[in-house]
Amino acid sequence: MSDTLHPTIETVAGSPRRYKRVVYSIFAVGIVGLFAGMLFDLPLTGTTIYLLGAWIGSALAALLPRVSDATLVDERDQAVHRRASGLAVTITGVAGITVVPALYALSAAEVVTITQTMWGAIWMGSAFFLLWGGCSFYVDRFQ
Amino acid sequence: MDTDLPERRETEGLSQEALAEAVGVTRQTINAIERDRYDPSLELAFALADYFDCRIEDLFEPPADDE
Repeated sequence: MSDTLHPTIETVAGSPRRYKRVVYSIFAVGIVGLFAGMLFDLPLTGTTIYLLGAWIGSALAALLPRVSDATLVDERDQAVHRRASGLAVTITGVAGITVVPALYALSAAEVVTITQTMWGAIWMGSAFFLLWGGCSFYVDRFQ
Repeated sequence: MDTDLPERRETEGLSQEALAEAVGVTRQTINAIERDRYDPSLELAFALADYFDCRIEDLFEPPADDE
């Protein structure tokens, strides 16, 4: 085997594990900052930390694989992402299909009252599945 | 999927990192393939077969239950 097939692994952006640690840590700082802001009644500070974490984390997640000499994200990461997304959609769908009709029935029977928060969750779930349907159509037809 | 990738890699004196670098994936992916925790894409299977100068079916074999 020639040496060109086995170049050094040392790169500017480090290893895939370090890449994930860095990105997830920045996201975590943002989320913790948001909750800390809510807890200590500093919503503007918390939101600012959250936005910085989300933006910087997203930018690094997108840019590092492009500028790094090493492979930081590969087909297995994409496969994990696809399977996790599918599982999340399935869980959300099963929960929605089973819980929402039961809530309607119990509300009609005046056993429970559907609060504004619950309506918000129902609408959000419905919008999510509408988006998922649109994305499925697009991927099926155009990709 | 059954594979003799670890044996071929060790025969060549390659680390998982070196093989991963050669075929353009992460070391974790090579490790997952060797531990039968991930089935490679056709593209990666071709790259591995090309690297070891063999056919895909020489590298990978479906488990007996699937036959």
